[in-house]
Amino acid sequence: MLCLRNVEYSQESRKILHLINMVFREGITYSILGPNGAGKSTIARILMGELRPTSGEVLLDGKNITGLNVTERAKLGISMAWQEPARYEGITVRDYLTLGGKLSIDEDEIKEVLEFVGLSYELYAGRMIDKNLSGGERKRIELASLLLLRPRYVILDEPDSGLDITAGELIEALLKRFRRTGTTVILITHHEEIAVKTDFAYFVCAGRIVRKGFSREVVDYYRKTCRRCLFAEG
Amino acid sequence: MVIKIDHVKEYEALVKVYQEEGLDISLFGNRIAAIIISGDRIIGLNNVPGVEMRGEEIENGVRAKVIIKDNVELPFPIHLCTGYLKREGYQRVIFDITVGRNSKVKFTSHCIFPYAKDFRHDALTKIEIGRDSTVVYDDEHIHGEGVRMVGKTEVDVGKNSRYTGRFSLVKYRVGKLKLEMSARLDDNAVAELISKVKAAKDDFVEMREVICLEGAHSRGTLKSTVIAFDNSKVNVVNEAYGLGDYARAHVECHEIVKGNADVQTVPLLRVQNDKAELTHEASIGRINEAQLVQLMAKGLTEEEATELIIKGLLGE
Repeated sequence: MLCLRNVEYSQESRKILHLINMVFREGITYSILGPNGAGKSTIARILMGELRPTSGEVLLDGKNITGLNVTERAKLGISMAWQEPARYEGITVRDYLTLGGKLSIDEDEIKEVLEFVGLSYELYAGRMIDKNLSGGERKRIELASLLLLRPRYVILDEPDSGLDITAGELIEALLKRFRRTGTTVILITHHEEIAVKTDFAYFVCAGRIVRKGFSREVVDYYRKTCRRCLFAEG
Repeated sequence: MVIKIDHVKEYEALVKVYQEEGLDISLFGNRIAAIIISGDRIIGLNNVPGVEMRGEEIENGVRAKVIIKDNVELPFPIHLCTGYLKREGYQRVIFDITVGRNSKVKFTSHCIFPYAKDFRHDALTKIEIGRDSTVVYDDEHIHGEGVRMVGKTEVDVGKNSRYTGRFSLVKYRVGKLKLEMSARLDDNAVAELISKVKAAKDDFVEMREVICLEGAHSRGTLKSTVIAFDNSKVNVVNEAYGLGDYARAHVECHEIVKGNADVQTVPLLRVQNDKAELTHEASIGRINEAQLVQLMAKGLTEEEATELIIKGLLGE
């Protein structure tokens, strides 16, 4: 079980997160839903170890892992697909997919995951992950790499951003596959139609948890309150 | 290949270095046009149909003339091997290369100074490419600890021709390197100058790449990648001149700095034709944080991630 306990995060004396408490159980899919600037990606980066909370703790199976860095957390089975996957000159898709996972990954497995995320093995396996690949293509490669890495906890930060109209289907298929392998999914999104595909949801706004529960219920609430908010601002 | 009888041992020693460094020893085969230089002597020379190479031994080095005739397309690269197997000394190598019309050739140049402690190497290469030809020139260096190198390559790319020049010094100590690569392009000509250098300790690198787009519709790319560690000093100057109608060039310089390295990049873009267009992109700094973190999320340590990113950048 992965938990955030009383987590707060400040940047240049501005508080981004206020007393965040979250629990992510094995094999369940979660979404963290909220408008832009709510603090969702900050939560993801704290879970992954890229950011350290100003106060509070990150716990894995009851152990405090707040002080562990990204590598150490990855070795404990936490991994993440970033909102904007990086480019790497001179590194092929094949090289990237075989990083960090089990010792021997054969070509059939690479082909299978690439095709699962909608990329042709023949066209992509040997390509460099450089500026000649679009953001959407890199995102699909990132998702494919997580399928081979098989972590216990997967954080997907805005997995649909930069993807085409098939994004919804892909995310649904990913969630199904992760459920089957018992992987916990923590999906960051501001799209209700993506969040509703997960089992449970946290609605975060202005750095606070506003609502938590079954996704459908949380999404309904988000729909009502967020729209009201937007109208109020307008 | 004709190997001078009194230089068999030197020749064998060079082949041994190739084997040890994982270089392609098939380049010493009989089907490959090659000139093998050791110190100030030509120890091997092989011509194939369409290629005429001759050389003369000059004071402290060798001057070689390479002529590629018209309509020549070679299945194998032309091998230019310059070796210096002593610890100290001075070597001067001058290559004068002429490529005829409608020809397609690749040069593989290896400069091998594995034992150098106090050695200076001067290399001057002039390449003249006739129209409708394609030339690739790969220049790879294997250096010992103490090399001072001055390299100058001037290329004249004829109409509708294409030239790719790649310089790589990434596996070994640079020592002191002063490198200049320049290309002048005729109508519809294309040139790409790529250099990759890894400097460490107290290495000193001064690089100047120049592309002069004289011809209409000529196109060029200058791309330098430098990794500077420790107390090394690096200065890169990229110059592009847009003179011809619809000439286009892109200049790209990426330098990664670690430790106390002192790195500078100076782009110079000059247009003297309102139809020409030049663009520039440069970055100097530490390794991209996003790249590092995302690789670490796969379980790589920071050091492993850094090494992988650098290897990728340098094409190792």
